[in-house]
Amino acid sequence: MVIDLKRCAGCNSCTIACKAEKGTPPGVGYHRVEKYEVGRYPAARMGFRPIPCMHCKEPACLEVCPTGATYKRYDGLVLVDHNRCMGCRYCVLACPYGARHFIRRIENYYGHFGRTPYEILKQKNLDEGIAVKCDFCVERLERGRLPACVETCPAQARYFGDLDDPKSEVSNLIAKEHARKLKEEFGTEPSVYYIEG
Amino acid sequence: MGKKELYGRIVKEMGALRPLFGEAPNRWKKVDPSSIGEKKTLFGLCRACMQGDCATLVHMEDGIVVRVEGNPDAPPNWGTLCPKGNAEIMALYNPYRIKTPMIRTNPEKGLDVDPMWKEVTWDEALDYAAEGLRKIREKDPRGLIICKGWGQRDTIMRKPFGQAFGTPNETGSHGALCTVHFPTGLVQSGHPVAIVDLEYCQYHITLGRSLGPNFSSVPGMRRFARAIARGMKLIVVDPRSSYEASKGEWVPIRPGTDLAFLLSMAHVMLHEIKVFDVWFLKNRTNAPYLIDEKGEYIRDPETKKPMMWDTVENRAKPYNGEFKDIALSGTYNIQGMLCKTAFDLIKEEFEKYTPEWAEKITTVPPETVRRLAREFVEHARIGSTIEIDGFTFPFRPVSLNVERNVTNRRGGTYADLVGKIINMLVGNIEVPGGCLSCGFRGPIMGPTDEGTTTPRYEAVPRPFTFPPEHATLQEFYPHQHTAPHLVLNAILYPEKCYLPYRVEGWLSVGGNPIRQNAQPEKYVEGFKKLSFVVSIAFHMDEPAILSDVLLPEHSALERLRVASFHVQHQSIDNEVSGLKMIQLREPVPTLFNTRNADDIFMDLAERLGILYGEGGLYDYLNQDEDFVEKSDGLSLNGEWKLDLNRRYTLEEIFDRQIKGWPYSGGKGLKELREKGYIEYWKPKKEFYLYYYFPDNKTRHPMYFMELKRVGDRLRTNLLEHNISFPMIEDMDYVLNLYRPIPHWVESSEFRGPEEGYDLWAINWKTPYFACDSSNLTGNPWLAEVYTKDPWESVILINPATALRKGLKDGQMVVVESRYGRIEGRLKVSELFHPDAVGIGGGYGLGTCQSNPLNRMGPNFNALLSIDPITYDGVSAGQDTAPAVRVYGKEEAR
Repeated sequence: MVIDLKRCAGCNSCTIACKAEKGTPPGVGYHRVEKYEVGRYPAARMGFRPIPCMHCKEPACLEVCPTGATYKRYDGLVLVDHNRCMGCRYCVLACPYGARHFIRRIENYYGHFGRTPYEILKQKNLDEGIAVKCDFCVERLERGRLPACVETCPAQARYFGDLDDPKSEVSNLIAKEHARKLKEEFGTEPSVYYIEG
Repeated sequence: MGKKELYGRIVKEMGALRPLFGEAPNRWKKVDPSSIGEKKTLFGLCRACMQGDCATLVHMEDGIVVRVEGNPDAPPNWGTLCPKGNAEIMALYNPYRIKTPMIRTNPEKGLDVDPMWKEVTWDEALDYAAEGLRKIREKDPRGLIICKGWGQRDTIMRKPFGQAFGTPNETGSHGALCTVHFPTGLVQSGHPVAIVDLEYCQYHITLGRSLGPNFSSVPGMRRFARAIARGMKLIVVDPRSSYEASKGEWVPIRPGTDLAFLLSMAHVMLHEIKVFDVWFLKNRTNAPYLIDEKGEYIRDPETKKPMMWDTVENRAKPYNGEFKDIALSGTYNIQGMLCKTAFDLIKEEFEKYTPEWAEKITTVPPETVRRLAREFVEHARIGSTIEIDGFTFPFRPVSLNVERNVTNRRGGTYADLVGKIINMLVGNIEVPGGCLSCGFRGPIMGPTDEGTTTPRYEAVPRPFTFPPEHATLQEFYPHQHTAPHLVLNAILYPEKCYLPYRVEGWLSVGGNPIRQNAQPEKYVEGFKKLSFVVSIAFHMDEPAILSDVLLPEHSALERLRVASFHVQHQSIDNEVSGLKMIQLREPVPTLFNTRNADDIFMDLAERLGILYGEGGLYDYLNQDEDFVEKSDGLSLNGEWKLDLNRRYTLEEIFDRQIKGWPYSGGKGLKELREKGYIEYWKPKKEFYLYYYFPDNKTRHPMYFMELKRVGDRLRTNLLEHNISFPMIEDMDYVLNLYRPIPHWVESSEFRGPEEGYDLWAINWKTPYFACDSSNLTGNPWLAEVYTKDPWESVILINPATALRKGLKDGQMVVVESRYGRIEGRLKVSELFHPDAVGIGGGYGLGTCQSNPLNRMGPNFNALLSIDPITYDGVSAGQDTAPAVRVYGKEEAR
């Protein structure tokens, strides 16, 4: 995935689309946008950085997973088998990007009113006591669609494709725009690249 | 307690309200058993912001909505969608909705007073509402206010209901803080605003408005991102470094002083740069018209036409004569009178507005004003042309646009008009790359018999009568936009407003001036004076809790809707220019005992005996035309008009509207269901209004004679009745805003510092809050994001200001204007002008029965005033940058 920070306007459509796609409970989100200020008045401006799971080539989360619940698929997606996760939370600590979440309890968005029909349906495969994360919307990919955060982005700041194909749009963009990876010093080799704004 | 903790607490406290709403989840209708195991997708049409035209897909499983996403195949958003639209599911499955009709049993009213609702059947509620409305109608139908707003923009029956009822008092809660329409109606015959042509624009100056990103308007963001990516230079003059300023050049300005900035920019162009589109000024404006010493046009004695000077023949001729060369400047003796060109008079007036003069007001350095003016003129490519679809247009890839945070104060209309003059000096009006209106595209810019473009929409003055007919007091503000603030004055002070009748009733349909206008406590006081309040209500908002009867309506996803596509309000490019379209929203199954607002209107009208026959709701619906899109909008045309004597379903009415739509090719609702929209693309050249009246076929007013004329008439009428404007002693305080040449005027807030109010509060729409459609602040998904956003639901000031005042990041502070007082958590931010106090979105207030999230955060609008002294006298727009002081909350004790 390539995220063009020159285009990103920090609206959080990605964050909410992810929430809607996955039905994650309060306090658990597979995506966030970091917002910060750059520079001093009068040259100050807003800065934004959307953070999904980096689907690293050398995932720190996979390395520490004692049960093998975290695994890497043939195409490079880093996924979690919820049935094998025992909730040790090593992965949550190991991930340098804060992309992992532990579901302690599944809360409701409308508190004591109880779970909405939407939450009941969407969370039927979600358990308490497990670690979860962004899976690049694997079930959408299998239907030939793009991840929800990519399709919804109103600024069209996100690109998704095959990094192993040097002719793909994402590979071209990375080369042309000198896109960078986040926290390369951890040696995780993320698959998410940023075109700096 | 931090924002996040507070949010956590509120989520927990929601439970305490549960008894008020019954065992809500258990009362959600069971899904239709036949839908179990079924997966289907409905065509949606988003309604989470004012634009409301994003095409969506609503995916359902087992009868439950599992996802709302952009429709990848449909304009104008092609699959993209904003956070608000993505969060619509939570507005549907919202336990704080009003779920069944209710009647108040507690006569005492207040935002924190339990109305002791009694649940009733629809028949009981409608009978009760109709009876209350009948009493008002029998006394004087003008006594009913119908208040619309962004909470409900899907009804087609509201306006005809009001007409059939006989009240002229239909107004919107949403407009008084956004009076942006008059100048574009006057200069460009367009509505609602002037926008930038992002297909071609190379240099764009924007003030007090959004191009999309500020409130995550999806098609606006698509165009914005493309324009920035292709290298368009963007200048954002604003007290805040916004989402948009962060992608361009930010020019910080003291809040509320844009008029001075614009005057100084015009000064530099007129007196220093002196490079104009002379052809445009001579042939497409009234700048060469000759003006006498009284400010009137010099007229040809025979034809009565305004005159211009022919420099070759050395004589004045009617503007529509044959000219060898037209004089733009000069003083001439005609008919024994010394007269000057309008252009010279404007130049003379603007001579004093030097950047050095303006700097003292705006704090913008003079060299910045000079540079921006120079860059603007250089980028305009004066003299260049472009061919589109075989038609040759002038090409001017620059535009300067202003909106609500410029226009909403005394002198705001002038600021917009100075912006128009700046644009006209480079000849960029209604041509590719330039400054375009965004309403009906067609031959509307034709000349009056004085040769200037016909004023349209809100530039058409409403007539004066005395005593006034309207509780909106449009007789005194003939170019007003919506006017809940004036209605409130008419309720609270009927004598001072010369109102010959009393406002007795209020019918609310999506409008909420209590939260979304100013001085909420005054609105509550006004509501308490009313004898009967009905709300067609979605959730327990402020008007709802003050109502006598609640008629619960569907959420946006449950409403059947067929709508025509309007040109978008932020910008335009070829992605949608020329698109004529009607869009469909297929409703999801209802969850509660709610109804479609239009069915409620038809039922009420039937009970009141005003549905059928001549002068009934259907009759007015037959006559109704889309205010903006005119004949291109959805109306009941020709053979598809309704029979006045039988009841129709909403589906039948939509079907007839579609069949009569000029671009539907005879298709109806059945065919619309196939892909959710019907589109028709007009040639791109027809999007530019220049096309219909090219060359010298029409002239944009630069000398605003129509404004002068309305002001003169107002003065005559006021003097005749020996009155002034309601609650304004000196009529010249308003009439000074009707001079034909814009000039510097002070806003009501300008001298705030002299009274110790040394800062100015500013407000903006945010990515999670635009107009509060679907109760966005109560949406828990959005709340989870906005509570973590550093610039949301806090009070923002520049670090230097905080230091000067001894205030610390994170502490609770009080912000106090001369009209109201709010509290909130301070956030120190480099993104703000040192004289600004930033409070975004529309947080706070709420009721004892509303979603507690609605009570969280500072309610900016409580700092604003309903006092006519704070208005722009032309548009009646209230000042949105009140002078304030800020101090630590401890100091308040």
